[in-house]
This record gives sequence, structure tokens and C-alpha cells, in this order.
Amino acid sequence: MFAQLVASGLVQGSIYAVIALGMTVLFRSTGVVHFGYGAFFMAGAFAVYVFSQVVGMAFVLAFLAAVAVLVLVGMAFERVLVRPIVHGPHVTVAMMTVAMSYLLTGVARFFWGQEVLRMPPIVDVPPIFVGSIVLTAQDLLIIAGCMALVVAFFLFFARTKLGKLMQAASQVPRGAALVGINVPGFHMAMWGVVAGIAAVAGTLVAPVTMLYPDMGAHLLIKAFAAMTFGGFGNLGGAVLGGLLIGLAEQLAGFYISTALIDIFAYLVIIVVLIVLPNGILGKKEATRV
Amino acid sequence: MKRMTAILAAALVAVANPAFAEPGVGEDTIRIGIFAPLTGSASIFGRAAFGAEAVYNEVNEKGGIHGRKIEVVREDDGCDAARAISAVRKLTAQDDVFLIHGGVCSGTVMAVRDDLERQNVPFVILGAASAGIVKPFKKNLFQPIPNSDVVATQMVDFAMSKPGTAKIALISHTDEWGETNSRVATEHLKKAYGLDISLKLALERSTTDATPQILQLRNAQPDFVLAMLYPAETALLVRDAHKFGMTTPILGNFGVSLEDTRDRVGDMAAMANFYTFYAYEPALSSAEIEPWTKMITKYFPDHRADTFSYEAMGGALAVIEALKQAGPDLTRDKFIAAMESIKDFQSGILNTPITFSADDHAGVNGGAMIAYRDGKPTVLKTWSE
Repeated sequence: MFAQLVASGLVQGSIYAVIALGMTVLFRSTGVVHFGYGAFFMAGAFAVYVFSQVVGMAFVLAFLAAVAVLVLVGMAFERVLVRPIVHGPHVTVAMMTVAMSYLLTGVARFFWGQEVLRMPPIVDVPPIFVGSIVLTAQDLLIIAGCMALVVAFFLFFARTKLGKLMQAASQVPRGAALVGINVPGFHMAMWGVVAGIAAVAGTLVAPVTMLYPDMGAHLLIKAFAAMTFGGFGNLGGAVLGGLLIGLAEQLAGFYISTALIDIFAYLVIIVVLIVLPNGILGKKEATRV
Repeated sequence: MKRMTAILAAALVAVANPAFAEPGVGEDTIRIGIFAPLTGSASIFGRAAFGAEAVYNEVNEKGGIHGRKIEVVREDDGCDAARAISAVRKLTAQDDVFLIHGGVCSGTVMAVRDDLERQNVPFVILGAASAGIVKPFKKNLFQPIPNSDVVATQMVDFAMSKPGTAKIALISHTDEWGETNSRVATEHLKKAYGLDISLKLALERSTTDATPQILQLRNAQPDFVLAMLYPAETALLVRDAHKFGMTTPILGNFGVSLEDTRDRVGDMAAMANFYTFYAYEPALSSAEIEPWTKMITKYFPDHRADTFSYEAMGGALAVIEALKQAGPDLTRDKFIAAMESIKDFQSGILNTPITFSADDHAGVNGGAMIAYRDGKPTVLKTWSE
């Protein structure tokens, strides 16, 4: 029983982690907290659905097309909606991301307002039994997809010159611009990249959650809790936070009360902000003056 | 002099034909307002609006009622109380409707019912099933569908109709709807059968996994699971029960459609142990329900008819019956009196007759369950059926 709960917790946690990862990547590279990321995730899932189920493309092509579309949407949003206000107060940019969320959700509601659609699993095979643990192929894909993204972005930010440059440009944009770095170009690229991650996440998760215009809102809260728990802006922290929240939900739901599952993420946010404001892996920010 | 003659003529017309003075009633029209969630996440339930409107259109094609055709004005409330209030104000003040046949979400109905009572506008519920809608009693308000008390009672009775049933588990949302349904089922189980709910679990809205709940149910080994859940979460429960090999029958609520659950789960094998409340006489996809489906698609060719599409057709037929009984000199008071005189009205679509009285406007007091048998939807009054 315990092993099954741990396995299911890791799957759920991976879902939260992959969304938290996208938001963390954007935060680290541009300094923007993306409150509309749940809607991007929803848009990615719907894009795959449209290309595979409506247009009739093969799944791999549909997936690639959806990622490409979301990358373009992310870049366009940055260029048209964010860049003109990026030097304003943080709250203005944050509100713009909220507006993006309403815009994308509204478009989805316009076309699919009456439907909760089923997204076929990527691999349609019977559940896999590992001892007493039951896992579906989709569960394994979610965990594997999450881990692959984490490793890729960790390597990108920690080991590549471009990754380090992006972080530096985010922290000191004026200095980066003075040495000839195209900071707005970097930012636009990162908006595209995180939108692409949203498409990947949507593709992995939609067969589990099903497709509907508001599907991203609920998971966004869990992703925020994961980021807060793990340490805001820390890639490993976002993933660790997501996994721990997934595990805790399952264990608390089984051993204490099922009513705890839904409020657990909120409890985490409250407790962490009071007891451990920088999260598990977060570092206290210090500014040299 | 000319002005005086015109006033006299108008007064004579009004006296000779008082129905013209009644809001929404013209020489050859009766205006009915419909409001429902036509967009948004609850719009699946709003399909009831199209079934009702199809009935009214069909009556018009057959000549109308006492020489008058029904004119429908449809508004979208998005299942939002504020929008419902605006929609109803528009229907009564601007469109000047005779009666309102609307409300699929209990919250929207609660938001507008007092205002409609004050105006004495007949208010026939389209699909909102909360038993609280008709409590306290309101003279102008009629509920021609099985309400939540009836549904919860039927779910318990169906489970107890299986010989040897001793343990019933319950899983519900923790909102007002889920708690009310749970309370009615728990009280009925105790009062009628002397049993307590053996295990009560929560499953919140928008949850994406039901592993802890299924594992607890598997441990407790109940004979039935009563699921007081909305459609998406019911599908999640059915899917995860199948994933973990749980074969305990799961009973779904009125708001859950068998077809919709099948589509969401995407696996017929997972549906083997799922039953849901069913209000209609003909089974889904049967030849008997085909004429009702055709009636809807005749007027709304793009409409994909499913369980909720038929929900308000019985109520619309009851409205037609009352309009006929009220006679050509139609007034709202006459219509209300005619509705109250409806007894054992067989609509042909609902599996339980509609009965109203002067002090009880909850019109449908029974129902059935539906499940797949040999791949076909089958209506079951009791387990052994």
C-alpha cells in the first residue's frame, strides 16, 4: 500500500514539478513570475489535441507542431504584450500574465466551451504491475519526461555559456546590454522556450487530467506551492517541491484524511512562507552595496 | 373627440380580450424565457435548454396552443449567479416574457427565485436539481425533474435492492452540493434500512488522481460506492477504480451521464461496474429515444444530444399541458393553477410521472439507474432487473 502511494505520489508530483519547472526557468531567465502559465499549459494540450485528433496528424508530428506553435505564441506574447511594459513595476507585468491567462482560456472556451475532451494516452497499453504497484505507461512517461526536462535545463543553466549568459542578463540587464548582449532577444527566446515546455507538459499530463479550458488553473496553484516549497527560482527546488507535495498529498490523503489532499498545497505555502521563507533549496538573497 | 374615441376603443379591446394585458401574451404568441449555461465549464448541463426549446418548436409546428405560437427568448447565464440575475431581469423587463423555463445550476436559481416570486412570474426549473430550490415553498416555482433528495434516495434504494448488501461507502465533494446529497443518502440509509455509511471519503473538484480514495475503498471492501461527484471526478474515480482492479459497483449521481463518463474514461471495460441515476423512460441509444433525439436535432442540427439534452423535455411538455388547461384567456395565475392541477402526467420521456399540487411543487418523485449491459445502456429500477 505504502509503495503504491509513493509511486502515485511521484507521478502526481512530477506533474506539479514539470509546470513549476517552466515557471522557474522563466523566472530565472527574465525575472517574471508567470501567473498565466497554467493557461499556456492548457493551450499546449489543446494544440496537441487539435493537430492529432482534428487535423489527423501522426502523434509525433502533432506534438512537434504543438511545441512549435506554443514557442511562437510565447515569443509573440513577450514581444507584443510584455516588452512594452517590462520596465514598469513588477506588478504590471504580473497582471499582464494574468490577462494572458484569461485571453487563452477565453479562446479555448469559445471553441470548446461545452466539452471536456478525452486525450488518448501517448502509449495505449495495459497497466504495468511491479509487485503490488500498479502504474500506467502514461505514469512512467510523465516521470521520465519530467526528469529529462530537469536534467536538460540543469545542464543548460549550469554547464553552457548561453545558460550562464541568460542568468547574468536577467540579474543585471543594463550591464548585459552595455556589453552588447541583446537582452530583449534573450527574453523573447526564453518566453518561447517556457511556452514550449508548457506544450510538453500539456501533452504528458492531458491524458490523465482530460482536456478542458480551465485545466491549468488548478495545477498552477500546485506548481506555485512546489516553487515556494523548493525555493523560488531554484530548478532543483521546483522539482523537489513538486515531488514532495505529490507524495505528501497521497500519504496524507490515505493515512489522515482524503479531505486534506486538496488543501495540502495551500498549507505548504503558508507554512513555508512562515517557517522557511526561502524554501528547502532556496538561498537568502544578499545584495552587495 | 378623436382622442376620446381612441381611448374608449383601447379600453374596450382590453376588456373584451384581457389576455392581451398579460405580460408576454400576444394575440398569436406566448413568450417564454429560457436561461441556462450555454458556454463555460457547466455548459454540458445547459444542453437541457435545447431539448425544451425543441419541444416548444414542435408544438408550434403542430399549430401552437389556442392559436398562439410559443416564442422562446434564450439567455446564457454561464452558471454564474450575477449573470443569471442580469439575464432574468432582461427576460422580464425588456423581453416581457410570460414565464421562465430556466436554471440548470442551483446557485443561479437561488439567486433569481425571490425576484421572480415578487413579480409573480411563473418559474419552471430547467435542470437544477437541488431539493432546496422548492424549500421554502414558492407559489410560482415548479421543479419538474427529480431533485437531489429523490436522487440520493434512489441511489440508496438501488444499492439495497441487491440481496446481502450490508456495507455502503460514500465519496463526495466537500461543497454544499456534495454534503447535502451525502446527508440525504446517509439519513435515508439509516431510516429505511438501519445502516450507517461504512466509509466516507472526500474527492475534491479538479483533482487529477484518486489513488488514496481507491486504496481505502479496496481495503474497506464495501458492497457499493455512492459517488456524490460531478462528471469529471466521477470519470476519474471510475478510471482509477479500474486501474487498481476494484470491482465494487460505483453509483453515480443525476448530473453524471453514462455516455459522457464512457467518453471521458475511454475504456468500456472500466464501465462494467458503473451505474448512474437515470430519469428517462427510454434507454440511451435505444430506438425508443430516437424520436426525442430527432426532435432536438431537427431544430438544432449541430447539437450532439446526450443525457442532459432530454432533461427539460418532460418539464416543457408539462408547461404545454398547463398552457392548454389554462385556456385561451391566459393569465399567470391561471397558468400556475393549471400547473398545480397536473397529476400523474406521463411525459413519455421521464420514467416517473409529473405531479404537482397546491402545496408541493417538486414534481418528480422517482427514477432509475442506467448501466451498460452487453455494451448497451440498460435502464434498471432495481439491482435484480
